[in-house]
Amino acid sequence: MLEIQHLHKQFGSVVALDDISFNVPAGQITGLIGQNGSGKSTTFHSILNFLKYDGTIRWQGKPVVESVFDEIGYLPEERSLMPKLTVEQQIIYLARLKNKSAKEIRPQIDHWLAKFAVKGKKTDQIKSLSKGNQQKVQLIVTLIHHPKLIILDEPFSGLDPVNADLLETAILEAKQQGAAIIFSSHNMANVESVCDRLVMLRTGELVLNGTISEVRNQFGKSEIYVTTPWSEQRLAGLPHVTQVTHIRDQRYVLRLDDPSAGPAIFQQLTDGKYIEEFSQQPPTLDEIFRLKAGIEHE
Amino acid sequence: MNKTWIVAAETYLRQVKSWSFVILVLSPFLLLGISLGVGYMSASSSSGQQQVAVISEQPTLRKQFIKQNSDDVNGKVQTIAAAKKQIANNKLAGYLVLSTDRQRVTAVYHSDDTISSSLKTQVSAFLAKTQQTINVQNAKLSAKQLTALSQQPTFKQKIAKQAGGSNIAKIVSFWIIVVMIYMILITYSSVTAQEIASEKGTKIMEIIFSSTTAAKYFYGKIIGVVMVIFTQILVYLVGGIAFFEAAMQFDKLKRLIDQNQSLVQAVITNLLNVNLLFAFLGVVIYTIIAAFSGALVAKAEDAAKAAQPVTYLSMLAFFVAIPFEGNSDALVAKILSYIPFFSSYFMPLRVINGNASGLEISLSIIVLIVTIGLLMGYISRIYEGLILQTDDTSFYQRFKRGLRYQQ
Repeated sequence: MLEIQHLHKQFGSVVALDDISFNVPAGQITGLIGQNGSGKSTTFHSILNFLKYDGTIRWQGKPVVESVFDEIGYLPEERSLMPKLTVEQQIIYLARLKNKSAKEIRPQIDHWLAKFAVKGKKTDQIKSLSKGNQQKVQLIVTLIHHPKLIILDEPFSGLDPVNADLLETAILEAKQQGAAIIFSSHNMANVESVCDRLVMLRTGELVLNGTISEVRNQFGKSEIYVTTPWSEQRLAGLPHVTQVTHIRDQRYVLRLDDPSAGPAIFQQLTDGKYIEEFSQQPPTLDEIFRLKAGIEHE
Repeated sequence: MNKTWIVAAETYLRQVKSWSFVILVLSPFLLLGISLGVGYMSASSSSGQQQVAVISEQPTLRKQFIKQNSDDVNGKVQTIAAAKKQIANNKLAGYLVLSTDRQRVTAVYHSDDTISSSLKTQVSAFLAKTQQTINVQNAKLSAKQLTALSQQPTFKQKIAKQAGGSNIAKIVSFWIIVVMIYMILITYSSVTAQEIASEKGTKIMEIIFSSTTAAKYFYGKIIGVVMVIFTQILVYLVGGIAFFEAAMQFDKLKRLIDQNQSLVQAVITNLLNVNLLFAFLGVVIYTIIAAFSGALVAKAEDAAKAAQPVTYLSMLAFFVAIPFEGNSDALVAKILSYIPFFSSYFMPLRVINGNASGLEISLSIIVLIVTIGLLMGYISRIYEGLILQTDDTSFYQRFKRGLRYQQ
């Protein structure tokens, strides 16, 4: 498990991270969300010891020093490889820096290239590959040495849905093998479908931390998805409904100021008759993200 | 394998396999080969053209001339018609008609061009000698008179031992060492600075620093570049020996080398002694500073500018060293022979001139090695901070922040 306690980092007079504490358990995937400049990359850089910080960061109870580097797989935010090396040379060089021998890695390369559907041969130079394929090679480099702590900075950015699925599968596989995984993302759909836990930062402060359902339930079941012939105006007149959003046809989302008003609204809407849809839910992660990010501007 | 060595091997192979390295290493040999080849080809193709024919109605006179100047005469051509034909075909430079009467010997040179100065000298010498023989015969001199007239003036040189050749050896050794160090420094300072600068702020460095420490990476880079330099010096040494051996196959070059045996020996001794160590350590210390300089650029795009500070420093040391070529026991030269960055030029200068004691040489080497160690240690500590920062602040601010290792 990766433990982060009271992490604090200041650049001059700007506080980049303010007393951040959370854990990344083994065999689980933790999503790190937040707006641009909220401190996600600074958190990763602190974990990797790229900068000096106050607080404690421990992996398996020990500080993150050179002896544990071989257990880490890190994918930085922007993609960058050595353009003149071939795919094979690049993968082997970086794997050797993770204490894997070329002998061990070389036979696995074809399998990994096929797994990520990389278009190009292992003898091709990195610079001859398309951007998307370079990104896949970088993912291979991050995962091929079977790291126990995987840190992915915006891994889904720039990937089309097919390739995003390939990445999702690889991340879930690593999770099954017991790796502790943390990744940052702006895409809440990815976070919701892959993550077990969620941490949200806002201008260097921790605003959310817990399992996905814990986080969502913190906000109460304040939304009702309903399919009804009622008009938007009529729905807005229901008690405790603060907002009505028309999705399509006869489908609406009602936002409540008091989740306990749900049963009464159900009674009024159905009046003892069949209704196609009535589902009371906590807000989606996307809504929570907007809500939490929005507080900043108030 | 230790991660430092993995980085060193990668750096080494990437450099050595590059075209720029191959061209850099082979270019002196190619240039030498081309100039020798062209020289040989033009010599052999023009050898016929340079020759002349000698025509004379007096076979003895003709034979004497040919005997004395066999290299320059095509003995097969015996008639003016044949000579004219050969000139028209560009196979002869011209023809010389020799004749004598009882009083005088005459030579007339026929050609499209003026006679070459060397041939002119040879012809004049031959004519003078032949004329003298005729004169002596005509004067009917007694043996005594003949002896009196053949007296020649004497000119002798007496040169004190160890001056002359030895001084030339010193000058030649000085220039070879200084220019060699300077060229290697300039080349590898820019190679190293650009290599490191091109990595500045790139995300690949984040991946690498999540795999090994910045210090190990830095050491690996320096070792890699030093191995490349070593390879180049080795290629030059082996190539130089091979070239020397090949040169000995050519009679003219062999004669030249044999004539200057002691000079060649002295120069080789001056190159293959402690001076080689100074050259090597000098290159190492400049490489370290070049790496530091590369790490200080604002961003990877500025890589081309990265080597400038180091280039200026090595130029300064180079140009300061030149005036002391014949004055190596001056106080300034003595002081500079202990100061790293300058000592690689100044101590070899003193060693060549034989005015540095073993103790002084050892002291200078120790100062240089300790400085290299301290610089390596210090830069490796701040290297991560330098390489990962990408903000476009001033050089001084980046330098200061790098030193404090804070991001």
